[in-house]
Amino acid sequence: MPPLAELQHHFAQAVLSGEVPTGLLAGTISPAEALSIHRDTIMDALVNALRLSYPTVETLVGEEFFDWTCRIFAEANLPKTASLAIYGEAFADFLAGFAPAADLPYLADVARLDRAVETALRAPTPQRRFVIDVAVSIVLPQSLTVLPLMYPADEIRAGIKDDAIMAKIVIEPAQRFILVWRKGFDAAVRRVSVPAGRFLISLLAGEGAEAAFHAASACEPEAVVLSAIQAELFAAPFCTVISTLEELRP
Amino acid sequence: MRRDFLPCAAHAAPIPAQAGVGLRFPHHKPVMAGEAKAAWFEVHPENYLGDGVIPDILARVRRDFPISLHATGLSLGSADGIDPDHLAAIAALASRIQPGLISDHLSWSSAGGIHLPDLLPLPYTREAQDIFVRNIDRVQMTLGRPILIENPSVYLAFAHNEMREGEFLAGLARRSGCGLLLDINNVAVSAANLGEGAAARLHQMLDDLPAPAVGEIHLAGHTVRECADGSHVHIDDHGSPISEEVWGLYADTVRRIGPRPALIEWDSAIPTFARLADEARTADDVMATALEVCHATAG
Repeated sequence: MPPLAELQHHFAQAVLSGEVPTGLLAGTISPAEALSIHRDTIMDALVNALRLSYPTVETLVGEEFFDWTCRIFAEANLPKTASLAIYGEAFADFLAGFAPAADLPYLADVARLDRAVETALRAPTPQRRFVIDVAVSIVLPQSLTVLPLMYPADEIRAGIKDDAIMAKIVIEPAQRFILVWRKGFDAAVRRVSVPAGRFLISLLAGEGAEAAFHAASACEPEAVVLSAIQAELFAAPFCTVISTLEELRP
Repeated sequence: MRRDFLPCAAHAAPIPAQAGVGLRFPHHKPVMAGEAKAAWFEVHPENYLGDGVIPDILARVRRDFPISLHATGLSLGSADGIDPDHLAAIAALASRIQPGLISDHLSWSSAGGIHLPDLLPLPYTREAQDIFVRNIDRVQMTLGRPILIENPSVYLAFAHNEMREGEFLAGLARRSGCGLLLDINNVAVSAANLGEGAAARLHQMLDDLPAPAVGEIHLAGHTVRECADGSHVHIDDHGSPISEEVWGLYADTVRRIGPRPALIEWDSAIPTFARLADEARTADDVMATALEVCHATAG
């Protein structure tokens, strides 16, 4: 019998390929059958992990197509760790290039939103503070992310169980910014305007408020950008605005 | 060399010798709302690692119930050793939840940097036992407490096994100080797949295992599938009711080793919580009846 490390390497390859190693295995079930049970268990676990992370994608394409797609993804993307909650990070990019789903150009964006919701739910609770200017700071949840998407994944996710709502969604590519954050034991999703989205992406990337404002002002008048930031971000339920001067007052 | 550990962490709520229920995601809400109760709950820690809502839910449940952590991903039989990041994540969860018991399987899942999410079989050799003891040592030193090791369901055996499964497990307990988790359904499944009688396999296992080391019992269902050659394979899918055969083996076990915490374990086709609670009541009844028989015989 080979050393354990070698045996485990060969056994893993045999499970994945279905090629039975000679002289190694015994039992009343055929070794090929036994290996196929392990292969099915592994694939089922990976498909189920993706099912939990991408529920809207599954509802959109149906269980059968979803499972088939996931198996193709899983065979080429085996996990490296036992924590399957973080498995499948590359699934959205895979869907974007998956020819059988080419008729659904919005599918990858829906997957990105599903993933962002899952990620927000797993984010720690501490908040982050950003200095806006000498007098004002804002506090944002650690879980807050901004998704720049081309398709209305937020509308699809919200209407996925209502055919009437789904029928009214206009699937036209255009730049959209969607915020996701953890809210109690759930996740919140909200679309914001292009200038508000650009500002927040830059701010969260650590570029500073002034640079973020310039990034957001590239295509819009400054007054429009300022109004969008105040209305859609500073006044949002996830944002706390702090007067630095008030803090300094004895 | 055997190491002595505290029986469980200082702040852990001990797991009572009653039936508990495997807590799965569909039952989070009724359990948190106080609508679904059990003497104790067991979870797979791999589903609750890190930050966020899911571990917060477990912490909420822990306020009201003892919790046992039943890991599936430590890959204790891997010749490559233990993934330090995964072990650290399990240790962080254990520190937060203070579980009454922590367990994993007599199996491996990782090789060559790839993790295969299944409980793959080990050859029962001295080399494999040495490696397993080394890995248990590392886990127990990190957690600061003993863990339980569960007998697996197997679909094949290795031609070069040097000892029985029970002897392998007993050696682990003796050499590492770990406890054991006896899965009765796995005994039945392995027996069927290896062409043995379930009762004979169980009794051999109970002969081999040091009874005081058995800290928990698992009860679950399995399915039977017909193979292409007309033979049958028993699959440990935890997706059907506990069989009459397994209930009978459980009663035999209680008569041999006495009462232990016994888990009702479902992982697929998860039924309503009421059905899980029914199976938990049945487990308590089977245990009580088996003990009465013991006492009557002794009297």
